[in-house]
Formats: sequence, C-alpha cells, structure tokens
Amino acid sequence: MITWFKLATRNLFRNGRRSLFTVMAIGLGFAAVNALGGFTAYIFTSLEDSYIHIQGNGHMSIFKKGFLNEGKLDPTRYLLNEEDVRVIDEVLQAHPEIRISTPELNISGLVSNGEVSTIFLASGRVSSKVDVIRSRSRTKVGNMQLFDGEPMSDETPNGLGMSQGLADQLRFKQGDTVVVMAPTVNGQINALDGQMLQTFNSPVEALEDKLMLVSLEFAQNLYDTTSVDRINVLLNDGLLTESMRATLQSELVARGLDIEIKTWNELSTFYTKVKNMFDVIFLFAFLIVFTIVVMSVVNTVGMAIMERTREIGTLRALGVKRRGIVGLFALESMLLGLFGSLVGVLLTLAVWSSIATLEPTWIPPQITRRIPLEVYLVPQEMLWSMLALLVLSLLAASLPARKAARMEIVGALGHV
Amino acid sequence: MNTITSIGTAPLVELRRVTRHYQIGENPVIALKGIDITIQAREFVAIWGPSGSGKSTLCNLIGMLDSPTSGTVLINGQEVNDLSDNARSELRNRTIGFVFQNFNLVPVLSALENVMLPLQIAGASSTVARERALERLTEVGLEKHVAHRPAKLSGGQQQRVAIARALVTDPALVIADEPTANLDSGNARRIIELMLNINASHGTAFVFSTHDQRLLESVKRRVLMQDGEIGSDSHPTRPAVQTRIAGGRP
Ligand SMILES: Nc1ncnc2c1ncn2[C@@H]1O[C@H](COP(=O)(O)OP(=O)(O)O)[C@@H](O)[C@H]1O
Ligand SMILES: [Mg+2]
Repeated sequence: MITWFKLATRNLFRNGRRSLFTVMAIGLGFAAVNALGGFTAYIFTSLEDSYIHIQGNGHMSIFKKGFLNEGKLDPTRYLLNEEDVRVIDEVLQAHPEIRISTPELNISGLVSNGEVSTIFLASGRVSSKVDVIRSRSRTKVGNMQLFDGEPMSDETPNGLGMSQGLADQLRFKQGDTVVVMAPTVNGQINALDGQMLQTFNSPVEALEDKLMLVSLEFAQNLYDTTSVDRINVLLNDGLLTESMRATLQSELVARGLDIEIKTWNELSTFYTKVKNMFDVIFLFAFLIVFTIVVMSVVNTVGMAIMERTREIGTLRALGVKRRGIVGLFALESMLLGLFGSLVGVLLTLAVWSSIATLEPTWIPPQITRRIPLEVYLVPQEMLWSMLALLVLSLLAASLPARKAARMEIVGALGHV
Repeated sequence: MNTITSIGTAPLVELRRVTRHYQIGENPVIALKGIDITIQAREFVAIWGPSGSGKSTLCNLIGMLDSPTSGTVLINGQEVNDLSDNARSELRNRTIGFVFQNFNLVPVLSALENVMLPLQIAGASSTVARERALERLTEVGLEKHVAHRPAKLSGGQQQRVAIARALVTDPALVIADEPTANLDSGNARRIIELMLNINASHGTAFVFSTHDQRLLESVKRRVLMQDGEIGSDSHPTRPAVQTRIAGGRP
C-alpha cells in the first residue's frame, strides 16, 4: 500500500507544474465555493437574526386561528382577548425554554399633520420586551442603532416612530405632535395625539411611506380594545422552534384555545425568497467548480496516462491487474483532490481572515444603512466540499484510468 | 537427456500450432505461421533471426502478454488462452520475469524499489521485498547503486537492475526480448554471461531473443526464426508424453 502511495506521489511531482496547476484549480474552486458558502451563511444568519431579534418578532408567533388568512379583511374579528392572553401566558410560563414572550397589536389608519393626512400601518409593541429580544442578537448589525432620534420606551406610551419616507411626506420632525386616526373595533372613529420620537427605514421599500411604530398601549387605546393580534415568542435555543411549536400548539388547544402558531421562517417570506435565490446561485457556482475540477483532473490524468503508457505496460507485464492500474491513477487523482482541498482550506482561511481584518461594509438590499460585510467560516461545509472534491477527482480519473487499464500490454510496452 | 528428465511432468512452456495474425487495414500480416515449440524447465533458449521474423511476437505469447490467433499456449501444462486477465496477471507475476529491450524501469523508483516491485505486486511485505531485492542487486553487482534512480544509471546498469527485477520472485522462466539491442557489444556480452550464470546457478529457464548472431556462441539451444516459422532448432525438446495424451493430440 505504502508503495502505491509512494508511486502516486512521486508521479505527481514528476510533472510538478501540471500537478500544481490542477491543485490550484481545485483549490481555487474549493475556496470560491466555500467563500460563497460563507457569505450565504452570513446572509442567512443575518436575515434570520434580523427577523427574529432585530425586528423583535421572536422565533414564533401565536395567532387566533384564521387571523393570517380570513383576518386580512377584518383583523379585529380575529384578536386574542385578555382571557386568551392570560391562558397563553400561563402555558408559556411553564416552559423554561422560552426566553420571553410579548404581545403585539398591528393597526392601520390615517396619520395627519393638520393639513394633509395619509394611510399608515403601525405595530404596537411593548418596548421593554422588544428590547430584550433585540439584545439577544448575535450579529454585528444587532448592536447598531437602526433609527434616528430617541428610542421607544415604556415610559412614553404616546411616543411613536415613523419610517423616513412617511415623516418626509408629512414634514414631521422629532418632537412634533402627530394626530393618529383609526376606527375602533366597534366601528367609531377615534383619534389620538402621539409624539414623534424617531425615524427609521422600512425593511420593505414599498412600505417606506407607510410604516409607524407605537406602543401597545397606544395601539389598544386607538382601537379601544384590550385585545392583541399575536403573541411573539423568543426561545433560548432557535433549534427547538419546530418542536416547541408542536408542544405549544397541543397544549394551547388542550386549554380550549382556537389558535395557530407560525414560525419565523414561515412568516418571513423575504428570508425564504432570498434563501432560494442563494441556493440557486450556490448551485451554479458549484456546477462551475465541478466542471473545472472534472476537466482539469481528466486532463491531468489523461496526459499522465499518455506519457506513462510504457510504464503501464511494464507494470501489467510484472503482474499488476487491471484494477491495480485503475487504483494507481485513482490514488493519484485523489491526492490531487486532497492537496487541492488543503490549498482550498488555506485560501478560504485567507479570504475569511482578510475580511475579518479589513471589516468591509456594504448596503445590502432592503437595508438603507451601511453594515459590515462578513464571510462566515463554515467548517462542516468545508468538510463536505473536501469529500465532494475527493469523490469528484476519483470519478473524473476513473474514466481515463479504466481505458488505460484495458490497453493491450504489448502495444503499451511498444509505446514511445 | 531433456526428454528423459521431463517424462511425467509437464514442460515449462509448450506452444501447439500457434499462429498470430495482425490486421493492418485490408492486409493481414501473419507474424507467426503455426509454431510448435517446447521449452523445459532450466533450459536456456536463444531465439534469433532477422528483424521482423516474429521473435518478439513469440516472446510475447510465451510471456502471456499477448494471445494467439489460433493454437494453444501451455505454461506448466496449463492452457493459458482462456484464463481471465486477473489469472494471467497472477501467473505472470509468479512464474515469469521480463527483461525488455529498453529496460522499462519505473523512472520515479530507485533501483532497489524497482526490484522490490514484483514482490510487492504479489503482496509481500516491504521488509521481505527489500531483503530479497538487495540480494538480487548484489548478485548483478549493483549493491552500490541501490538508491539511484534509473536516469542516474548507465544502460548496462539499468539492464542489470531489470534482470534483478525479473529474478526477484524466483520465477521459473525469464523472457528477455532483445535485452542487448540498446547496449554496446561489451555490455551486451556481459548481460548474456550474467544470464547464463544465473541459469547455471539458479536453474532459471531463459528465453532470450536477439538479431545478433555473435551473441550465440555460448548458447546451446538456438532457435532460428524465419518469416514467422521456426527455421531450425539446434536442440529441440519434445513435449512430455503425458501432456500429449492429456492434450489429446497424436
Ligand atoms: N502490432 C503489430 N501490428 C501489425 N503488425 C505487427 C505488429 N507487431 C508485429 N507485427 C508484424 O509482425 C511481424 C513480426 O514482428 P516481430 O515479432 O516484432 O518481429 P521481430 O521481433 O523478430 O523483429 C513483422 O512483420 C511485424 O511487422
Ligand atoms: Mg523484436
């Protein structure tokens, strides 16, 4: 066995430049796939973190059954009332896996500066609890201030935030008094005064001139209700999302509640779309690398076989079986794949560490602020690529190697 | 004498009505036209004749590197035509050593590693292989060159390494097709002497081919090839009686 390794390695060094090129091609391919993989990991993590923590939605949300479908037209008919919320809280309290839960009421209506008014959509939330959720963010963006002005706070229930586009439209500045109007759950028109605390950027461009942020108290006062439309739940461990959903679902139904639970990835359609898109991009990148690796290995092994035809004849004459010849070239290409992967690991580490050192920033879609661009190190992805490249090199070599093994011995020996 | 010693045992090599045709485009080339030859263990046979007379084709058939168009090749009484490629490879590895015209050493292996190779193909441990290879290299007078790669050796030295490699598995037969064609006359003579000495001391049978008549002086059995036929055989041996019966031929 050692002999064959020796033979394979020495043969690789025999045409060192060609082997080097192949190793570099494999290494660059490896690094390309893994750097892209590290970037997509960063994107996915950021999107996930953004939805769950930064936007304060938690891992899952509990709704009255039908709120998300039928409730679109008449949301006030599908609210969780005080009693529902009390029972839900009771059930949630019993689970130490739950970090925190917070109620939310989304409202819509008209916002006015006294001269003109326009439609708004606002979520009413409990600031202190949202802050707890936000503080659990693991990303660099989570530590950044994503608004201009003062933070929302439980102490200022009339304080509100506005997307920049909406504020510009109505010429609101920080500290201005804002008139907010909406029909109550009973159908009467209600109006409240709020105070501008901050502006922020809508995560969805189309809503840049419509979004507002208010306290839960404000939202409930405006709608003249004590109900909410959802309870957001943050877990200690996001991996438990699916199992906790099932557990809570059955426990809540057992308590006689007609509810449905949606997880963050079901609610964040943007995440799913971006993930699908990147999966396709990744597939393309992988196919390109796949082609490069297969072509360079086929070429290298093919050339080696041409050059060493007489040697193959000699080995066969000395008694090496056909599968021994296949094995020898398979071993050589596996070594190419292995060295290539190792070079790839080094290149990936180089990319990763230089990005970690240089800390470049960028403005990704759907965010209007400059944020750090990162490439994550994903060891298991590197392991998989290594395995894939080894198998790939092996398969790529097996075709020319098989042909070499079936050569006529006499013909091979006479080859010059 | 040969006839007597071989009674009751199959001869080392036996070819019956062996032909070998090559097809080049439309025209068939008949390299061998029905060869009958028997070679006993411990024999030293020189196959000589002009270029193109079929010497190499004959050597390749005896060495199981090639298959005949018709006729039968028997090694130790066993028909080898129908053996699988794996079985032929194993048989070659165990019973036949090869020495080639252009040495055919593996360039990335040292002299020692080249000689070890046939044993390692057979699955021997490197310790055993190393020991035996060293013995063989000493026998051919190359104990000082064991670590050299082929490129660092002269032609004569390379052919000695090849002979050591051919002998390392203690084969019954060594086939050397024009082993001296790429050597000067002094080296050529020394290689023939080395092979004769090994034949005398170990009893290894040799089949060696040459187109150079001057190298035949000390060889007893000389087979002359002419146009794909045996023109003359100075000391022909007959196949053993039993084998003839077994083979069903008169
Ligand atoms: N692979 C081949 N294809 C076609 N003809 C061949 C081939 N090998 C040998 N021959 C022909 O067979 C004949 C015998 O060749 P060979 O055995 O090499 O002779 P020698 O070794 O005595 O020079 C020659 O006419 C040669 O041209
Ligand atoms: Mg010849």
